[in-house]
Amino acid sequence: MINIENLSKSFGNLQVLTNVNLVFEKGRVYGIVGENGSGKTTLFRCIAGLEKHRGTIKSDFEKLKNHLGFLQTDPYFFAKITGREYLQLFCNARNIRENDFDAKNIFELPLNQYAATYSTGMKKKLALSAILLQNNDVFILDEPFNGVDIQSNILITEIINKLKSLQKTIIISSHIFSTLNDTCDEIHLLKEGVFVKHVFKEKFWQLEQEMKEITISNKIEKLGLK
Amino acid sequence: MKYYFRLQFAMLNRTLKDFGLVPFFGYLLAAVAFVGLSILLFSKIGLAEYLYDLMAMSLVLKLSQTRRNDFLKSCFPNKAYFRIRILENLIISLPFLMFLTYQNCIISAASLSGASVILAFLNFENRLSFTIPTPFYKWPFEFIVGFRNTFFVIFVAYFLVVMAISAGNFNLGIFAMILVFLICFSFYSKPEDQFYVWVFSSGAGRFLFYKIKIALLSSSLLVFPVVASLCFFFPENMVMVFAFLGIGYLYLATVVMAKYSAFPEPMNLPQGFLLVAGLWFPPLLAGVIPYFYGRSINRLREILG
Repeated sequence: MINIENLSKSFGNLQVLTNVNLVFEKGRVYGIVGENGSGKTTLFRCIAGLEKHRGTIKSDFEKLKNHLGFLQTDPYFFAKITGREYLQLFCNARNIRENDFDAKNIFELPLNQYAATYSTGMKKKLALSAILLQNNDVFILDEPFNGVDIQSNILITEIINKLKSLQKTIIISSHIFSTLNDTCDEIHLLKEGVFVKHVFKEKFWQLEQEMKEITISNKIEKLGLK
Repeated sequence: MKYYFRLQFAMLNRTLKDFGLVPFFGYLLAAVAFVGLSILLFSKIGLAEYLYDLMAMSLVLKLSQTRRNDFLKSCFPNKAYFRIRILENLIISLPFLMFLTYQNCIISAASLSGASVILAFLNFENRLSFTIPTPFYKWPFEFIVGFRNTFFVIFVAYFLVVMAISAGNFNLGIFAMILVFLICFSFYSKPEDQFYVWVFSSGAGRFLFYKIKIALLSSSLLVFPVVASLCFFFPENMVMVFAFLGIGYLYLATVVMAKYSAFPEPMNLPQGFLLVAGLWFPPLLAGVIPYFYGRSINRLREILG
């Protein structure tokens, strides 16, 4: 379990997160939605311990980061490192000795090619494969479906369902509502650094409808398209 | 177009400020270093002007990357794009052209300026379609990336060993060993993305020792052919070979610690100065190493917990 209490984060005068209180339990999938700049990635970086913050984050683990797989929105790759070497690096980082990367290459990535030459979707799949190989207990997936083809989207959805059945905790952000609908047990709506809504699966359709209405309102008319 | 160059100038100034230098002094320091090294090069090496041309061209070539220039093409009309490319190539070549002219190497200067203009019309894809094999695949990432970027210089060092043996010149062999270590030091010149440290589950101390262990093991693989050849062909100097090897290892460990002492920022000027001072006058390492170690542990603790 991860318990976040009164988490606040600011960059200079810019308040990004304000008094966030959340509980993430084992075996559940949580969706975090919000507009660009609402604070989703900052929240994830705070949970991962990559950002200093006010408030507390407690978990069942002595060091949460050592059990956490963090798929970043835009994973960074060295210019001359192959997919296989990237996976090896992630395994070395967690002292995982034996790994048959070819057998576990379910996205059929060209592991002997430089990762920097991969397409956006392939990079995402490589980064996801790396954190899956680490046998983490908690997963933060920041836009895992972004740039990924339909077949892999289906596969990622199934991976998330499998992780859930293995009692892992999964936190996802996505701008594609249908993917959250397929995977999440709960969705939290983040607006300007504050969680304004918390919805369970049976009310997802209602949340989607509300978001559409608020987002679109009369903005299309403002464009004056002719 | 003017705005583009103003922006480049502002970016360069920001880089110097980040390094802890007032831009004016940065330019002054760079000019003094450039002139000093040029004088040294021309006084020590016979074919300096060709080497000089090659160095200038390698810098100009860095501006010919397809991705970068596709971006410029999308921003500027054709005429402005080519004017920018020619101008920036000539700006890069200018210090070299001035020194070549001063040295009376008119033909080299003319070829360099011609090549700088021609290269403005050419773009090169930096991404190779094949993967350069390395013996370091089990220990990502410094030596894997470093080896792929500098393998040709490593082969130059090995070639120097062959020359040293054939000419019976032991000092040249030692120079080749120093060159291999200098290449290894360069692998640690830039900090990696913070995420690549965060992902490790070990504590700060263990992480640092792990990185030093990888550096020593990997550098041993690169330096082994040099050491073995020198020991075999100059057995009377074996003690000297191992003394240089030991010093190389010590310096490499210091460089690794120096890198993480500033992490995730690049090393700043005082730290860089301290590192160079320690390498220049080894007894200083007795103070420099504990200083870098202490700072590295503090920096890494913030990320690794």
